[in-house]
Amino acid sequence: MNMTPKRSSFGTYLNNLVNGVTSMFEGMSITLASMFFRAQTIQYPDVNIHSNEELVKDYKGNLRGMPANYRGMLHVDMEICTACMICMKACPIDCIAITNVKCDKRTFVGVGGKKAVQTRAATRFDIDLGKCMFCGLCSLPCPTGAIHHTTQFEFVPDNLEALVYKFVTPQEAQKAEARAKEIEVEEKAAKAAKAKAEAEAKPAEPQPENN
Amino acid sequence: MLIQTMTSLGIPELIAQLIYALLVAFLCVNFIAVYAGVISVVERRVAAKMQSRVGPNRVGPQGSLQWLADGIKLILKEDLIPDGADHFLFKLAPFLMAMGVAGTFAVIPWGPANSAASDMNVGILYLISITSLVVIASLMAGWASNNKWSLIGGMRSAAMIVSYEIPVALGLLPAILIAGSLNMGDLVSAQGWAPWDWIAFNNPFALLGFLLFVTGSVAESNRTPFDLTEAESELVAGYATEYSGFRFAVYTLAEFANTWVVGAVCAAVFLGAGQLPPLLEGSIPLSVAVFVGKTMFMVFVLMWFRWTLPRFRIDQMMEFSWKYMLPLSLVAFLGQAVYFLWTWESEVARIMVSHLMVLVFLGLFFYFLSRTMVNFKHQAVAVNSYKTEIDYLERMGILKPVEAVVVAEEEEGKE
Repeated sequence: MNMTPKRSSFGTYLNNLVNGVTSMFEGMSITLASMFFRAQTIQYPDVNIHSNEELVKDYKGNLRGMPANYRGMLHVDMEICTACMICMKACPIDCIAITNVKCDKRTFVGVGGKKAVQTRAATRFDIDLGKCMFCGLCSLPCPTGAIHHTTQFEFVPDNLEALVYKFVTPQEAQKAEARAKEIEVEEKAAKAAKAKAEAEAKPAEPQPENN
Repeated sequence: MLIQTMTSLGIPELIAQLIYALLVAFLCVNFIAVYAGVISVVERRVAAKMQSRVGPNRVGPQGSLQWLADGIKLILKEDLIPDGADHFLFKLAPFLMAMGVAGTFAVIPWGPANSAASDMNVGILYLISITSLVVIASLMAGWASNNKWSLIGGMRSAAMIVSYEIPVALGLLPAILIAGSLNMGDLVSAQGWAPWDWIAFNNPFALLGFLLFVTGSVAESNRTPFDLTEAESELVAGYATEYSGFRFAVYTLAEFANTWVVGAVCAAVFLGAGQLPPLLEGSIPLSVAVFVGKTMFMVFVLMWFRWTLPRFRIDQMMEFSWKYMLPLSLVAFLGQAVYFLWTWESEVARIMVSHLMVLVFLGLFFYFLSRTMVNFKHQAVAVNSYKTEIDYLERMGILKPVEAVVVAEEEEGKE
């Protein structure tokens, strides 16, 4: 309701009155309508908001737990991680630490149908969540979608070390290193065999390369 | 009756009257305390409902004992008096305010005609004047606190109550003209049980007077949209800034008790009080129930105003009172007088007008309901259907687009 008309006349005066009454009428109907609308509040500690089945038991609102694109604690699916270190380079505050060794070659159908090739395996994949600012830049370039944010946001460790998430166990790291040594030996042998074969075949016409 | 029994037992009449007055005052003050507590919880729940929230629901079943917890908390708190405050006035002010509200309970009826504690022949006049006591209390609190926010709040409160006093009093005049008396009991008995016998629907001018009275009363009880005496964004809490503990509780109590006063006066003077149809005439509990129902409806309307309308600016508030409400209340008063002269001879015209008023009001009511339905449908949009920050993830195929969860709101919403 515009109380201070620029040009004061009896017409604007009456107009103000009508405006005030009609807008109040409409506003009152809006608030009355929202009285019959359900409460959207999720009573957080009382209900488990991570499982929709649990949530809908006590909760009648429209929300369905945590949104799927919520950027919570980071998680790495080591089954599909190619140890390409792109996430480490993308991280603006360097909270991801990766070391890798050679491994058997594997091919994935990556994100968006693109081909992703794994040639190296991680022997260390640490994320310092104490530093992490949950910007999501690491999960953007990941070729297989291995590193991703979960909807988990409740995390209280009792010591600082627990803030560093280690996704590769020492046993797995040892295994990968042992395998890497084997691969190195195999590759050296293969190289030597190939060089020998090439030296033998040099006089003849060169063969087309076929990996 | 009580006085007569006491005098027959040998107690002097003056003392008997004093005992009677003290008893009534005790009952009234306790009623105020309990009512204010309960209504504060109800108000918070209503506010939560209007904002799709839950509201207080921890203390007792559905938060119904929250007011006891609040009261105990406030009583246990330290009663601070700021340095440089005027101790006497500072301590007195909240109780003066509560007194102004409690004083009105002397003339407020409780259902049937002549059910008020004091059957004063100038009941309405007494009511209007005793509510002005609040002005002194708020000015006292504002001045004694030695705080600029308190002072501005107190000044604003005084300015507001003084200027809204006039439309309130003039808004009551059509009703007084119709009943021909300032007595609360006469005003009640001038009305019947049916809506067309109520003073509010007697004629357009009486309805205008009713609307002006409600609006002015909202301002007088310092509630939103006229709560700029304690506007948090400008003056921390207005004249109550420096108060804590029990004295603060008394302010809140007075404020909430005022809603009953406004509702009860509306019900008694304009909405037919506790008048019953001829078949049920004489049943006091039913009459009281009808009266309390009407009062609680008016209290709900006040809450509804509070959570719908935004706060006025100080200059808008003054303009609204002097430029809009005062002329309109004069129109209501003069119009009522002219209408009286016009229908002096013909009872039929009066009956026709009042029935027409009820019909128009019913039409408006159903139009309002239809608007409410429309607005309900507008608001029943699933929350998850709005996409936020999802596009790049979608592009990368990590996430499927979040599906809109549309629940059939119309059936389940009204619980």
